Amino acid sequence: MTAEKGFEPKIIGFLCNWCSYAGADKAGGMQQPYPHNVQVIRVMCSGRVDPQFILSALAKGADGVIILACHPGDCHYKEGNCRVLQRQSMLNLMLEQLGIEKERCRLDYVSAGEGEKFNRVIREMVETVRALGPLLLPSEHGVMPSDYYASKP
Amino acid sequence: MKTDIYFCNCGSNIAEKISSETVTGAASSFPDQPYVKVVDFICSEEGKLQFEESLKAEQPDRVVVAACSPRDHEATFRRCLTNAGMNPYLMQMVNIREQIAWVTEDPAIATEKAIQAIRGAVCRVRLQQPLEKKQLEVCPDALVVGAGPAGMKAALSLAEAGRKVTLVERTPFIGGLPVRFEELFPALECAPCMLEPLMGELLHGDHAGKIELMTMAELVEVTGFYGNFIARIRQKPRHVSLHECIGCGECVEACPAVTMNEFNSNASERKAIDFAFAGILPNAPFLMEEVCVRSRGEECRACKDACPMGEDVVNLEEACEIVERRIGSVILATGAALYDVSRVTGMGMGLLPDVYDALQFERMLSSTGPTGGEIVTAGGCAPSSVAIIHCVGSLDDAHKPYCSGICCQYAFKFNHLISAKLPETTIIHYHRELMLPGKEAHTLFHHAVSNRNSSLKRYVGIADLEITQGDHGRLQVSAKGEVTPADMVILCPAVIPAEGADTLSALLDVGRDSFGFFRELHGRLDAAQSSIKGIYLAGACQEPMDIRSAMLEGMATVGHTLAGLQPGRTIEIEPITAEVDETHCAGCHLCISVCPYRAISFDAGKNVSGINAVLCHGCGTCVTACPAGAITGHHFTNAQIMAEMEGVLK
Repeated sequence: MTAEKGFEPKIIGFLCNWCSYAGADKAGGMQQPYPHNVQVIRVMCSGRVDPQFILSALAKGADGVIILACHPGDCHYKEGNCRVLQRQSMLNLMLEQLGIEKERCRLDYVSAGEGEKFNRVIREMVETVRALGPLLLPSEHGVMPSDYYASKP
Repeated sequence: MKTDIYFCNCGSNIAEKISSETVTGAASSFPDQPYVKVVDFICSEEGKLQFEESLKAEQPDRVVVAACSPRDHEATFRRCLTNAGMNPYLMQMVNIREQIAWVTEDPAIATEKAIQAIRGAVCRVRLQQPLEKKQLEVCPDALVVGAGPAGMKAALSLAEAGRKVTLVERTPFIGGLPVRFEELFPALECAPCMLEPLMGELLHGDHAGKIELMTMAELVEVTGFYGNFIARIRQKPRHVSLHECIGCGECVEACPAVTMNEFNSNASERKAIDFAFAGILPNAPFLMEEVCVRSRGEECRACKDACPMGEDVVNLEEACEIVERRIGSVILATGAALYDVSRVTGMGMGLLPDVYDALQFERMLSSTGPTGGEIVTAGGCAPSSVAIIHCVGSLDDAHKPYCSGICCQYAFKFNHLISAKLPETTIIHYHRELMLPGKEAHTLFHHAVSNRNSSLKRYVGIADLEITQGDHGRLQVSAKGEVTPADMVILCPAVIPAEGADTLSALLDVGRDSFGFFRELHGRLDAAQSSIKGIYLAGACQEPMDIRSAMLEGMATVGHTLAGLQPGRTIEIEPITAEVDETHCAGCHLCISVCPYRAISFDAGKNVSGINAVLCHGCGTCVTACPAGAITGHHFTNAQIMAEMEGVLK
């Protein structure tokens, strides 16, 4: 798939309240602009991010989803970020089955102090999804889960 | 449903990038066509008043505040809703300052992004439900486990504040490890003398009536939760009444059975009925049933007959008893022990005479110890040379990777005490690193380095050292081929959690770190709290610690207890918690396995999980984990999050 000129991706960002949402606020305080494409949804813990939210976001018009969590070991709720990591590997498999590039869903870690990292991660994510182009759902571009299984030995 | 949007310009902070007129125009296409009110500084005193007045006049069902970060002012605006007679959870904030206005260059794009975000909030807030904080009656009394420095300080301070305290101690005496020492670093204070006033206050002071001391006792079960725990405690028989015994020792004289005394590192004998060692408090002996001749079926009542205080002081028939206490919080102050250095190869511990660990040597230094305070070798002579090995098992990946923090200081204390008693004895410190922080530790160090009979040698790894039997009955320390004779070797072992920490951890569900110490809720912010609400941590049960730090931690737990639970006052339970719908719960236990706070329990009768709102922190991990969708995360429901997402994507 080639990138469309002038394509502005829509991206949903799930941010945990304690580290990454605070990191986004810190990035705001630094007043360094970053691309506008990510709409933030605040959850208390990244462990609350249900894979169905991600699939639903992609189904309802998002071209990508980014989950930002506390760094491993720093989770405000001790280990919620480990749960999201476990779920992410399962989700990647599902995305592959659906014919959706796994780069459209990124999990990363931003601490409350990492305003610069937040800015960089958002830029990278927007560039990645921009390069991938708009998300065409399986039924729209002709790849069905059955094709995935057919391609496996 | 009537939804009102309050749009804050934040002076020019937001207004410069986001056009309130455009937002107002766009809002007419939002669900319920919300009314938009533009304010300049909604967080100012005047702004808040205006906000409240406007809420009272408009009487909206739901409110969206588009302003700064909810991390700044969500609590502020929730209070405004309360003041205006609304439920505070019927508001949703949109962060159009930090996350839009300040980071988006083009005003048209910033305005468009703000419109999407506000639409998301409008879609979400319609689904938000009024939530109520619940009130819970609590018991202000506390249970303290461990009567060492941290536990004693905590118990006494709580009693001074008028709280009833149950102080449970495993050994027959109070004072913990330090009462076994003669003198303490950094100032060479006499340990029993320093602790005596504290112990005296605890046993007989003005507030002692508030403290129920149970020695030779252990916790067997704790049920319930913060504010409402029930503790079951096993009181083992001392066979001597603490209230009536005068500590004269007549029973000890009369007792025919002898064993080795564990409280003197098994280096001296004791009777079946005896004191742990001289000068301990409470000043009463205890009977070791397994040593008493009666355990072999012999008839003996020599101790009972010898007691000058009558028939009732010694009770040979006394049995174990389980007592129950209702408490609101638990303070764990179970202290530390020393690593078994016989596991460190080449140290000769347990194999060679005259190799001692630090605790054995402390007892040798003590006037109440096996040698009455004399430093003597197994052969009965004063040593002419002593080697002190630091970091045995500490800073060592094969044993304990952490620094034990206190060893360097007591090693230099040993140097001082040895040179005071035996001025001609040479002392060699073999150390890996030196850890002497703070304003007081340096004095003993400087004393040691200026002592003409002392020297310090650095080694890299413990494998570089070997202690072996040398000539003429002496030991020798080989350090990378360099052999030095020594008459006595003192090992400074790693500090580890006291025995029983594993049992307590399982009993209370309090987490432990990879070294076995109790884990803090947060290493810096909440170092005196465990992960279980209402269970606090004080002293060396949490990490290697000196007496000063243990006392301070004891006080920190008192602060938590006094601040959290107050007589006659209920505690408020945050409503942003999770709740199980019993009709959908399949009883799979998955939620229980992911909850980090022991907030979920299983009702075997109904075959469903239940969440205790007092213990729930509202992270929502169980909500996501539940395969049946039976758990609702209040204020962060699936429907609310989905509605917000759809709103911003429209």
